[in-house]
Amino acid sequence: MFEFFFKYPASVFSKGSIVLAGGWPVWLLIVAILAAGAALAYFVRRNAESSVRVKGGRSAVVWVLQTLLAAVLLLLLWHPALSVATLRPQQNIVAVVVDDSSSMAVDDAGSGSRKNAAVNVLNSGLVKQLQERFQVRLYKLSDHLDRLEAYDKGGLDKLTAAGTATHIGDSLKQVLADAASLPIGAVVLLSDGADNSGGIDLETISEVRRQRIPVHTIGFGREKMAHDVELTGVETPARALPDSRLSATVTFHQHGYAGGKAKIFIRDGGKVLAAHDITFKADGVEQTENILYNAGPVGVKAIEVAIDPLPGEENSRNNKMVQMVNVDKRTPRILYMEGEPRWEFKFLRRAVEDDRSIHLVTILRTTQNKIYVQDEHGDAPKNIKDGFPTRVEDLFEFDGLILGSVDAPYFTANQQEMMKQFVDRRGGGLLFLGGREALADGGYARSVLNEVLPVKLPDRKNTFVRDPATAELTAQGRDSLITRIEEDPQKNVERWKKLPYMMNFQDAGQPKPGAVVLVDALPTSVGKFPLLTIQNYGRGRTAVFATAGSWRWQMLQPVADKSHEMFYSQLLRWLVNDTPRRLMVSTPKQMLNDETLVKLRADVRDKAFLAAADATVEAHVLGDGVAETVEMRPDALDAGVYTAEWTIPKSGSYVVEVTAKRGAEDLGRDVLTFRRDDGVAENFHVEQNRELLEKLSSETGGKYYKPEDAKKLGKDINYSEAGITVRETRDLWDMPAIFLFLLMLRSGEWLLRRKWGVI
Amino acid sequence: MRLRTAFAVGLLGLAAWSVLRAQKPFKEWPAIEYADFPLPGDYRDRHEWTRARLRYTDVYGYPDHCCLYYGRSFPGYWTMDFPRSDRHLLEGVRRLTRIDTKSVEQVVTLDGSDDVYNWPMLYAVEVGHWQLGDSEASQLRDFLLRGGFLMVDDFHGEVPYHGVYNEWQVFLTSMNKVFPDRLIEDISDRDPIFHTLWDLDDRFQVPGSANYFETGLTYEAGETGKVPHWRGIRDDKGRVMVAICHNMDLGDGWENSDDPKYSEKWSNLAYRVGINYFMYDLTH
Repeated sequence: MFEFFFKYPASVFSKGSIVLAGGWPVWLLIVAILAAGAALAYFVRRNAESSVRVKGGRSAVVWVLQTLLAAVLLLLLWHPALSVATLRPQQNIVAVVVDDSSSMAVDDAGSGSRKNAAVNVLNSGLVKQLQERFQVRLYKLSDHLDRLEAYDKGGLDKLTAAGTATHIGDSLKQVLADAASLPIGAVVLLSDGADNSGGIDLETISEVRRQRIPVHTIGFGREKMAHDVELTGVETPARALPDSRLSATVTFHQHGYAGGKAKIFIRDGGKVLAAHDITFKADGVEQTENILYNAGPVGVKAIEVAIDPLPGEENSRNNKMVQMVNVDKRTPRILYMEGEPRWEFKFLRRAVEDDRSIHLVTILRTTQNKIYVQDEHGDAPKNIKDGFPTRVEDLFEFDGLILGSVDAPYFTANQQEMMKQFVDRRGGGLLFLGGREALADGGYARSVLNEVLPVKLPDRKNTFVRDPATAELTAQGRDSLITRIEEDPQKNVERWKKLPYMMNFQDAGQPKPGAVVLVDALPTSVGKFPLLTIQNYGRGRTAVFATAGSWRWQMLQPVADKSHEMFYSQLLRWLVNDTPRRLMVSTPKQMLNDETLVKLRADVRDKAFLAAADATVEAHVLGDGVAETVEMRPDALDAGVYTAEWTIPKSGSYVVEVTAKRGAEDLGRDVLTFRRDDGVAENFHVEQNRELLEKLSSETGGKYYKPEDAKKLGKDINYSEAGITVRETRDLWDMPAIFLFLLMLRSGEWLLRRKWGVI
Repeated sequence: MRLRTAFAVGLLGLAAWSVLRAQKPFKEWPAIEYADFPLPGDYRDRHEWTRARLRYTDVYGYPDHCCLYYGRSFPGYWTMDFPRSDRHLLEGVRRLTRIDTKSVEQVVTLDGSDDVYNWPMLYAVEVGHWQLGDSEASQLRDFLLRGGFLMVDDFHGEVPYHGVYNEWQVFLTSMNKVFPDRLIEDISDRDPIFHTLWDLDDRFQVPGSANYFETGLTYEAGETGKVPHWRGIRDDKGRVMVAICHNMDLGDGWENSDDPKYSEKWSNLAYRVGINYFMYDLTH
């Protein structure tokens, strides 16, 4: 329709610019139009004097219509035309890129697979149409770009729809590289847009725009599946202590099962670790569920999260994801300094004695001048028998620290500063317990440790109150793993309400910004006070548990009840689980689905946990038939951080041991595992990503087509500023739209005059 | 509105009462040896710790079916040395350690209520005369397995004492009800219980004052009462949870610590043993 009225397709207008080809100056056109307007004004006015019916406003309307008519006619004398760049016939190349990833094998295109649909579009005239004016180069796209043989030599027969990934951006970069030496005038991309490299980056888009190559896209596949459940993400800690309770945050969406029920399973090597009931929300709505599971014994776990296939599901391969979890063989040490013999000390020690992943070393002030040191595992620094450490190296041997009812002045200023640095620099966990000589009553408000506390201590004494108090979970506490003593969240809330009352509580003040209150204390006397408050500080974390009376949770409950043990075990594991060692290696992704490059990062510290910027750091990679040593280089911006990249030769599991040395000094070692799985990424996001294809086209000056509209591409593709072009001038004076406009002006005036009774 | 307010206040009161009902307040009791023993001025003050004294059923039928004792109701064997011994001991604990202790003991009964669980350090005297019922034994077992500690003292010999009761056997009869399958063993000198605060490798018999004042002997119940036995029952982790002080009277050591006729060395050891036991309990 557009072309009927305006002679050329809309794309020609969008790419071209309007010029006046007559050669006469433009100012003359303006003068002529003004002169015509003035002359017409004179004649209209003179006629109005002799006519009663065409006066005032009516004469003005007549003048406007006649002036417009004169202006258009004058414009046509100046020869208006469209200047547009077109590709020179037979001198340009059109790159036809066909998505050959395995998502193109999905049979939802109406006539077989998406790949077949794409081939049909090309075979049904599009390639012929292109070949009339251009050379056509065929490419296939998956995780990289490959050139196919010429169309006439059966190039399309090589398409298999078996590529393990879709990297559109990377493939476009390769086309651009070809364009540097070849006159590529346009790119035609036939794809479902199911890119699994995280989208097309701005750099690639900018480069395409800079080279002015329009990318025309033809989209295949349904934009929404009729019946499908898809996992979109799984987050779970990469490292854990043995037998830790971990949380997996699972996100998913579905189509066609709204209101239905299913189960999410967490498995390790086929063994079910957890099963969680879910009810699907509306179609397409992203859902998130937190599922708890036990990390189990030491080892590398490939934790599979899956929703078992539902009846009628079109793609069940996107129902599961795998995450690597390293259950470390390590036993963090926690130093518990207690200022007075009391029940909380006894029962806290007993609560974690069966937790083989925590070594608790305790120092107790039994009398004014005596201490009693307990180090059952015998792995604490030797001089711990002399009391609380006075050297950084000794204190930093621990991963966590607990301060009981021991007043701040008991410690020297140096010891207090060491404790602050223990959290801030060493990255340890510091737990403050309530007590008559703890927190505000222990003078901590005036200590340097006040800064690391997650609460703003009251500016008064007598905050420790021997009144009974019950515990109640806050909203954040309901979601926390620290306070989860029942698997089911709702049962957990009720369980906390039923815990025996605590013998006492302490007003620890209000939480600082950024701190989180997990449990409130509800005294029988009055008020509500934060009981368990946590926060991150520096590289570490701190917490306040403002009571000395939780021991009643042990004594007042049946022997078989383990809520007291579970709470303290989880609290202390939280305290030390993320405490870094002197050398820590990490990678952004331990599970590399159809990716080949692993990025390694090592953070190296000395005994005082100061950044070791002058270390020699090596990564020793071991895999199936692979043994390679990679030198890690210091990061330019982050002292003590060393990085390396390594190309994974084939799919499988790999172990990397990173060692660091400074001269003869061994700065430590750390082990990390990662895995490359191929053929996984294409199972996800298999719907047509029309948004991505449309955006790619519009950003590059191309156009998105549905397969049935692909024939139009043959005409549109001529207009491009890339490749070898010629600028053409197309006449506009004979556009039907102009004649229609002139006719409307004249007939409009005639109708008005008739209405006014002049005619 | 008034009705609603009254209802809310009532509910609050009920909640507070239900919370507190499990913990019984301090109470004075008639005793075998002492009446109207003065209370310390701070006896009402709340502190972290106290040593509880077990009020048990004994072989004479106390408390339900008992006899008269010098014209009054028999106060029970559990009150031997009470409360002078307790008050002296607690004063010593307060002076010699950093334990934040009350100045008075707490008397607890294995009556099926939750009260006993509030007082994890329990002391029973004259256990050669106790006679625990099944429910008492069951609750005592529960108390110990949850983490409580029991120290028993002042019983002598392994033959009938004065031809009446074999006190060791009487003790065993009830203790076997509590733990039919746990061994009673001698605690070695190396055990931490003798080293938590003081190193007590060198221990000796602490005599009962009445017997000593009367006979000049440090032992009772004949030949089988001559050797003091420091015994115990351990929990599954190997910790002592029942400390058995057989053939000695530490209670008298505390009770008579202000009596010049009673040797200071006996009281001294009684305090040291007692406090070591308490410290052991609070650290293990």
